[in-house]
Amino acid sequence: MNNEIFSDSHLEEVASFKGIKLFWIKTQKFKTNSINIFFHDNLSRDRASKNALLPAVLRRGSKEFPSIRDISNYLEELYGTSFDCGVTKKGENQIIQFYIEYISDKYANSDVDLTKKAFDFLIKIITEPLLENGAFIDEYVKQEIKKLSELISSRVNDKMHYAVERCLEEMCSEEPFGIYDYGNLEDLKSINKDNLFEHYIEFIETLPMYVFISGDLKPNQIEYIKDSLIKLKRGKEIEILKNEKETVVNNVKDIIERFDVSQGKLSLGFRTNIYPKQEDYYKLLVYNSVLGGGIHSKLFQNVREKEGLAYYAFSRLEKFKGLMVISSGIEILNRDRAIDVIKNQLDEIKRGNITDYEYDAAIKSIETGIKSLKDSQLQLVDFYLSQFIATTNDKPDAIIEKVKSVSKEDIIEIASKIILDTVYFITNKEKGE
Amino acid sequence: MDIKTINYSKIDEVVHCYEHKSGLKAFVIPKKGYSKKYATFATHYGSINNEFTIDGENTRVPDGIAHFLEHKLFEQKDGSVMDKFSKLGSSPNAYTSFSQTVYLFSCTDRFDENFDLLLDYVQNPYITEESVEKEKGIIGQEIRMYDDNANWKVFFNLLDAFYEKNPVKIDIAGSIESISKINKDFLYKCYNTFYHPSNMVILVVGDVDHKEVFSKVEKAINVTDKQPDIKRVFPDEPLSINKDYVEYKLAIAMPVFQMGFKDSGFTTKGIECLNREIAVKILLEMILGRSSNLYTKLYNEGLINNTFDFDYSIEENYAFSAFGGESKDPLKVKEFIVDEIKDLYNRGISKDDFERIKKSMRGRFIKQLNSVERVSHMFMSVYFKHVNLFDYIEVYDNISFEYLENVFNEHFVVDNLALSVVKPI
Repeated sequence: MNNEIFSDSHLEEVASFKGIKLFWIKTQKFKTNSINIFFHDNLSRDRASKNALLPAVLRRGSKEFPSIRDISNYLEELYGTSFDCGVTKKGENQIIQFYIEYISDKYANSDVDLTKKAFDFLIKIITEPLLENGAFIDEYVKQEIKKLSELISSRVNDKMHYAVERCLEEMCSEEPFGIYDYGNLEDLKSINKDNLFEHYIEFIETLPMYVFISGDLKPNQIEYIKDSLIKLKRGKEIEILKNEKETVVNNVKDIIERFDVSQGKLSLGFRTNIYPKQEDYYKLLVYNSVLGGGIHSKLFQNVREKEGLAYYAFSRLEKFKGLMVISSGIEILNRDRAIDVIKNQLDEIKRGNITDYEYDAAIKSIETGIKSLKDSQLQLVDFYLSQFIATTNDKPDAIIEKVKSVSKEDIIEIASKIILDTVYFITNKEKGE
Repeated sequence: MDIKTINYSKIDEVVHCYEHKSGLKAFVIPKKGYSKKYATFATHYGSINNEFTIDGENTRVPDGIAHFLEHKLFEQKDGSVMDKFSKLGSSPNAYTSFSQTVYLFSCTDRFDENFDLLLDYVQNPYITEESVEKEKGIIGQEIRMYDDNANWKVFFNLLDAFYEKNPVKIDIAGSIESISKINKDFLYKCYNTFYHPSNMVILVVGDVDHKEVFSKVEKAINVTDKQPDIKRVFPDEPLSINKDYVEYKLAIAMPVFQMGFKDSGFTTKGIECLNREIAVKILLEMILGRSSNLYTKLYNEGLINNTFDFDYSIEENYAFSAFGGESKDPLKVKEFIVDEIKDLYNRGISKDDFERIKKSMRGRFIKQLNSVERVSHMFMSVYFKHVNLFDYIEVYDNISFEYLENVFNEHFVVDNLALSVVKPI
């Protein structure tokens, strides 16, 4: 018997060519299959907005399916196949994702090869966009610039996420990580159908590609996908930079943003300067869990349960960039008290005050989290992708073992490396504003 | 032990069920090969049950009490039960909706111990005045968090536009003012009224042995006395909408809106309830979905963006559709929609669209069965309507175009359309 956790959802590298890596996650327990195509770029001011706009324009129409209506009609005919695309950042990588998920053939009551249809659709959306005079459709580009601008402006609508993202951005305002993954309003203004198309050609030919197929497929279906990918026109792939430098904090930044709100949002940004390839990283994982990674954590137990200051209080790692952020929604007048209580939790760990409960539960909750990944195709894909970006290539079992070997002393040792960088607070407007 | 097993061969799913002598029903949906085991213990009691009669005596409790009780149940004589789950490496959680309160945990290991904990704490409240007072601070911040949340506000304002009296319009957590009146006695009164096993259900989804689950339930439920006769009291609600427009302001960048049709004359129990739900959802998809003419028009005019979405809810004493998202001009969106509905009355709905969308929604339903969480949540959302989650597949396979036409005429009545908008300050 195979005791490996992911024995039923193994990752197999099928092929690697022209800067394209093709993987297959073999699994039989899901009722759907999925295909994910990722393009990787270095996060930079002059490319971020174009990279964000590109999938939005591509999903407006391909040669074969020239409008949203045509696309949707087709996907509905394919038994409600889901298709989406978008951007995200992992550390200083900007990742552009194209995703399609469709039911297994046996639920389709017909003999169509849904894998072939879904893959053809997805790859044509990416490689055969609707064009006019050698550029994108002007109307589509203009409309999508507007929609993307709305999306960027509407970030403030969700204050809870906004407070976390803005804290990290303020912290890294002088570094690529401070760039919002959906770009910015000013840069969007200078994009048009021609320069976006120029960017697209470079994008499609030079960005490294990761392709993940997940599900219960036949080898000939995988072959078909491989053969199609080999035919793509590709140039020399760009180099993805890895920036894992040590950042020194000279003085703590204090940032306040004012809105007409009834609840204050407090975020504290920290430098860990610890990256996934280092042995310290596993200690950091446990440290973060003890501090704010769930109901067992010091933040939950003290900020919420003991002091009744907040409904939520957590800490989270940005593992690729060596950052940690704590966030909580509090009564505006309680700001200083909340900061004291939070800082005291960090100090408690430094002083070595970690209970057996906090320690055991922290490790177990990480273990549960990793074991749970394999119940979701998207999470599995994200797990493996993150491993490639961090160049760790750890197997889930190995991570669990490393986490289990972290001691209380290790956690205390890590505590001294966590440096406060930025205090960010959303508060209400002062009278007369 | 009497165990019933139902096979749903079209979608490769099985449900095992068992009824305890107290009247409690327990279900197991096996999910072979999954790591996560997801267990739920729920009561048919939610935020709308703020007035009830037991043995002839009428009681009105403060708004938000079902949700408050949900928070307090985690407290036990020897500390918080959340810590005990946490020690086992599992994640406990709970949520209160309009008509039910659901306690759950998700684990990958040591299912038995986790399940024992769940069965135990939900049956054994330990509430003190002191802990009630402390909880007011935490829930107060939860309420404040929602106060700043435009999507939440715009939805509840739509309910306010629909309903004059129906308690569904009241925020699930209540208000800072209403929760200030909550005390230990009120909480115990609600507990004793609504947490009788015969008013509850247990569900486990995951790779577990159903016989072991049921024998645990058999041993752990110790109530045998008969449930007193509870009458849930609801005010009489007019059929027409309360207001056709509600506006509010928050610190946001772009207006958000929700609009929809208040439904009336619907059946609330049994398969007919699912039929209606699916019929309205198919119609919404046909009229407003991404493959519709109207969507393209609204999208190209810049009136909607990718946040646009729609849904339909049908419960014990209310039903409505709701659709919305961000828009620079919600009133204009409403105009377009009203014109389209009027036009559809002349033109008729399309049978081709119906067939295609039915097929599509059936596929999306099957996709959701991949997730143990989704299966649990969907099961719970229909259970107290006396239907089984997997009955949806029969609904998709049997729903007719003629039925859809009838539902269109009943539901999409312009006089029943209300709009809620939250604008930037």
